[in-house]
Amino acid sequence: MHHPPIQPLAPRPSRYGIDPSLVKKRFADLPGMTSLSIKELFPDTPEVIYPGPEGIQAVRQAAEAALENVDLSMIEPHHTVNVLASHHGFTLLGGEPYAELLRTVYDVVKQRTGAKEVRLRAGVGLRFRETEEYIVRFNLKKHFDSARGMAPIDEGIPIETEIGTLYGLKRTYDADWIIHVHNSDVREVHFHRQVDRAVKPFGMSYARIETRSTYHQNLGPRGANFTARAIFESPFVQSKFVGAVFLNMSPSGVLSVEADNDLYRINDTITLDGLRYYGNMFQLLGKIEDCIVGLDFPCPVPYVFSAGVIYCNFVGANVDLFDLDVKLAPYTWYTEALYGKDGKPLIPDIKPVNPAIRMVVHNYAWIGYPSAFFSQQLPTIVIGKEQADLFEHDPQNLEYMKYAMIGENLEDAMKFAYRTTGTDKVIVFDGAVGGINVSESLAEYLLKVAPEVSAEVDQMLMPKWLKQRGILVSA
Amino acid sequence: MRLINTTAIIINDKCTGCRICSFVCPTLAITMEPVPGTKNRKLAVVEEESCTGCTACEQRCPFDAIQMEKLTEPRFIGVDIQQSDTEQVHQLCYDSHLHPEQVVCYCTGTRAEEVAAAILQGADTPDKISMATGLRTGCTVECLQPAMRLLKTAGVELESPKGRYQWYGPTPTIWDIPDHVKEKYAQRGFYFDADIEFFEKIRKAPLSSEQNYTEREEE
Repeated sequence: MHHPPIQPLAPRPSRYGIDPSLVKKRFADLPGMTSLSIKELFPDTPEVIYPGPEGIQAVRQAAEAALENVDLSMIEPHHTVNVLASHHGFTLLGGEPYAELLRTVYDVVKQRTGAKEVRLRAGVGLRFRETEEYIVRFNLKKHFDSARGMAPIDEGIPIETEIGTLYGLKRTYDADWIIHVHNSDVREVHFHRQVDRAVKPFGMSYARIETRSTYHQNLGPRGANFTARAIFESPFVQSKFVGAVFLNMSPSGVLSVEADNDLYRINDTITLDGLRYYGNMFQLLGKIEDCIVGLDFPCPVPYVFSAGVIYCNFVGANVDLFDLDVKLAPYTWYTEALYGKDGKPLIPDIKPVNPAIRMVVHNYAWIGYPSAFFSQQLPTIVIGKEQADLFEHDPQNLEYMKYAMIGENLEDAMKFAYRTTGTDKVIVFDGAVGGINVSESLAEYLLKVAPEVSAEVDQMLMPKWLKQRGILVSA
Repeated sequence: MRLINTTAIIINDKCTGCRICSFVCPTLAITMEPVPGTKNRKLAVVEEESCTGCTACEQRCPFDAIQMEKLTEPRFIGVDIQQSDTEQVHQLCYDSHLHPEQVVCYCTGTRAEEVAAAILQGADTPDKISMATGLRTGCTVECLQPAMRLLKTAGVELESPKGRYQWYGPTPTIWDIPDHVKEKYAQRGFYFDADIEFFEKIRKAPLSSEQNYTEREEE
């Protein structure tokens, strides 16, 4: 018995994507597609507070309760407070849970401290207008005393750290106090390797280009996220840091809201939950032997996601991305850098991208992230000339279309993909919440292998992953 | 080699002369020019030959006074490595802990050897490197430090442009991390020494022209 596909998130108007009217068909509309819920795959998946019967109110209530245990006494009525946010949060579950969390933080801080000015400072990655778009979409300017997006090329300030000078964004720190509001979605595990996940924005969306470049070029594939810790632990940042509030995510939705004055306490909680719940999904997808991938979500190519897994996690799913004995993920910038002029890795121990991916059908994804590596490594069909043109003129993707083909429409592209790959297994990254849209044949296969994956994660992998990160868990 | 197929256009009616575009342009292609017939008013002006179409200015303009236009005749920029002494180019890369073929800009695919050649041919600031090679003209974010490392190794004294945001300075590398810091965080999942070892292996890898992949695999 197959379920109907989960309705994917609708295309969004954005300067980084094609006009939504050009997205004529979604993978979920195609014949032979079905959905699997996370609960079906892993019955011990925990209950979530959102999505749920209480709607967005559940996020507010959880945030208010969590904030009761956070000391705000250092904030005085004449003080200013920057509530720090990042773009990724707005891509989760349509964005409303993160927007509501931010609004709740504002309301609680105002109410408990009477601070004269509580502002939203929302950082981005490589799409400099992205949070400006979200501020408008979620009407955050109206809620906060002021709200603005920050980009890594904006004015910076030096921050002295225990490894030397790094640079933050001036607007991150231009208040008496900062509150770090983020989420635990694992996302770029190829970069942070689930080490100090909670700290990452201090080296990324709150940071200048010098720091981001340090992360991605200077510190190495398993040391990169130390950039964030170095900044966070600096006396300057500590002198302003009040605490953190997190949406604790799982592939099914929001597990809880975590708030604390001690960021490392939150870090341990979300590291543990992330390894446990996302670990199952990563390992499960790693078991797929052959498939066609559908990209169908308003996000840049590597970030399109389903069931908490982003596409580029799947590109690296032929190795255990949580295992820190693995030096280099098959996709990460450090890996991409190491393909020589002949198009092959400079040393043989660089793993190829996931060989299970036989073809990628790019129905809908955004520009604003260097993605040529994906079309270089994997046969790719991009639907529609307009989308191809958008990529061809994106300074971050000038070579993406050099390696990709253009398909006129999704149906014909899929016929071609089925015929040339010989597989009928399809996995779609379309933002489905609580489950994943796949072809019927893949659904049957995943249901069959999920129990053994779950046992392997619980009994063998979790103890190893935790030990590698110095996290002790008592039974 | 970097293809340039768009350019920034200033919408004069919207430009307030705030200068932000000129502070963020990685190739210093934007200057502020006096408006004839006014006392102090200045407007942004884009020098098309230096504009790489990176969109940094357009995405940071607070007044939406810049738009990107497709070029009818796209062009390429890049440095001819053959014009430099290959041994010197390679040595500069190796001394900066980079393999010459290592990609240092993920948007443009620029390799370390091209940046090294640009420096040897006279590019002595990150901006000049960007203009010559296209490095840091895609996302404009992630590839600043390799340029800094190569410039530093080449003995160039860097002084960041005052009051502008193009770049502030070099930052630490994995080779600079003090032992006591490594020790302090050894149990938290950071593998500094193992990554140094890995980088060393990469740096010593043969050039793709010297050895084919099968030979590399057999090593």
